Amino acid sequence: MQRSLISAILVISFAFIGSVFAIPKVSLERDKLRQKEGVGLVMPSQIAQIVALEFKGLFADAIFSKAMTYYGGKLIRGEKATEEEWDWIYRNMDTATDLDPYFLDPYYFGATNLAWGTNKVKEANLLLEKAFRYRDWDWTIPFYLGFNYFYFLQDNEKAAFYLMEASKKQGSGTLLPTLAARLAYQGKKTENAIIFLQEILKKTDDETVKKVYEKRLNALKGILFLEKVVAAYQDKFKAQPNKLDELIAKGIISEIPQDPYGGKFYLDKDGSIKTTSELR
Amino acid sequence: MTAVWSVALITFKEGIKNRVIFGIFIIALLLFAATTVVITFFMRDIVKVAVDLSLSTVSFAGLLTLLFIGVNLFGKDLDKRTIYMVISRPISRSEYLVGKFIGIVLLALAVVVFLGLLSSVPVILSKRFYYYPEARFDWWIYSIAVVYIFIKLAVVSAVITLFASFTSNSFIALILSLVTYIIGQSTEGVKLLLASKVEKIDVNPVLSHMAGIAYYIFPNISAFDLKTQAAHGLSIGPSYIIWTALYAVFYIVIALSIGALAFRRREFP
Repeated sequence: MQRSLISAILVISFAFIGSVFAIPKVSLERDKLRQKEGVGLVMPSQIAQIVALEFKGLFADAIFSKAMTYYGGKLIRGEKATEEEWDWIYRNMDTATDLDPYFLDPYYFGATNLAWGTNKVKEANLLLEKAFRYRDWDWTIPFYLGFNYFYFLQDNEKAAFYLMEASKKQGSGTLLPTLAARLAYQGKKTENAIIFLQEILKKTDDETVKKVYEKRLNALKGILFLEKVVAAYQDKFKAQPNKLDELIAKGIISEIPQDPYGGKFYLDKDGSIKTTSELR
Repeated sequence: MTAVWSVALITFKEGIKNRVIFGIFIIALLLFAATTVVITFFMRDIVKVAVDLSLSTVSFAGLLTLLFIGVNLFGKDLDKRTIYMVISRPISRSEYLVGKFIGIVLLALAVVVFLGLLSSVPVILSKRFYYYPEARFDWWIYSIAVVYIFIKLAVVSAVITLFASFTSNSFIALILSLVTYIIGQSTEGVKLLLASKVEKIDVNPVLSHMAGIAYYIFPNISAFDLKTQAAHGLSIGPSYIIWTALYAVFYIVIALSIGALAFRRREFP
């Protein structure tokens, strides 16, 4: 009796110590495996809708948060998402919003990250246009669409259309009709973008997203400042400067503003202000 | 009628006394608690996620109750041969069957009322926790969704009664009910999928015909799922409510009548 008790205790304690050693190893190996796995397949919406049974909303939540945590993990590790990964993120957001077409988070996440984080404005707009069809009470959706058309696609006509749509909905405030009217005029692109971004910033309380916008806003403010200075230079000397440094040499400004993206502002051949970072 | 009622009450009491129901309640409470943590991972539509989780929990707990307790309440009488005591009394077999059905429905009602009220706690917390002006939510629509969970469970109870009336043991009744529930949830989706002709795959006409037949034979349980409407405060028209409720009543009557017919002809070993 006693002997069997002692041997049982021995076996249990041996196995316990073993498992304590094994647990961190297992999680390490799992991490390695996950990194190798990378992005997986996305279930097609039509299949997901059937498999989810009555839990379509929960499925949408799970698919969305899986893609979001994957992207978040990359950000924390300081890695950049590849083209393939962005595509995977887009398809996840698409499936999540097929399961619950009123779910704001995937639209919001997709629209902000696909347009700003990478060059997938077309995909961001596809998501937002779907949101526009379903969330017909929400003015922020056409507002973001209008911004994308104006800023990334340089399509002022469509931008003005969506802004007018946004201004018709409750809660949109008074600034939108004015902004839409301004877009009807060509030019003043930088100024309009600043007004747009300031308006978006007011509606954003997520700190990470806020930083993205603030960075862009500061860069645009720098560009607007230089544009005005170049215009003043043209008024004064009746000629365009060849380089931005000439502005300092002629004593119009004391220094060229910093590009928050780490690039350098320069004067393009067509007279517009550009930056070597391409705002990325 | 009193005979039906007394069978129903006995069935209900037996179900409530079952220990499994405590397990199911504990699972539901844990899921409600988890809801309050999970919602913090989301960005803006936080109330929606809370509603999704809460209502799914109520529905899931109700289904577990029916499949694990409801099915057994039938099986017990047959397995333990206590059925002889009942059928020797002045009560017809159909009355016995209907009484059992009502007892199980009462059990589902108790679960839905209790957990439905409790499910509002994570939703209230989520509303306190985060306010987004463009999110819509309406307690009225939320309560309609809870009522529809009960209607769905009543239909599932009728299906369980039907299968229990002719199968020889409760495990087979459980499997058949579960399969019917899954098919009932997906017939509408499959029908839509076949109608949409995705990516130009040629669908076998026999298959699409079968899906059409299944749509009429199996209960369209997805019609009683109003979680998305509750989560986004989308209005539900009165005609939707009237027609789906009528559909549920008709389906329950059909299932119970066929069940009663089968049960009357049944011979007990």
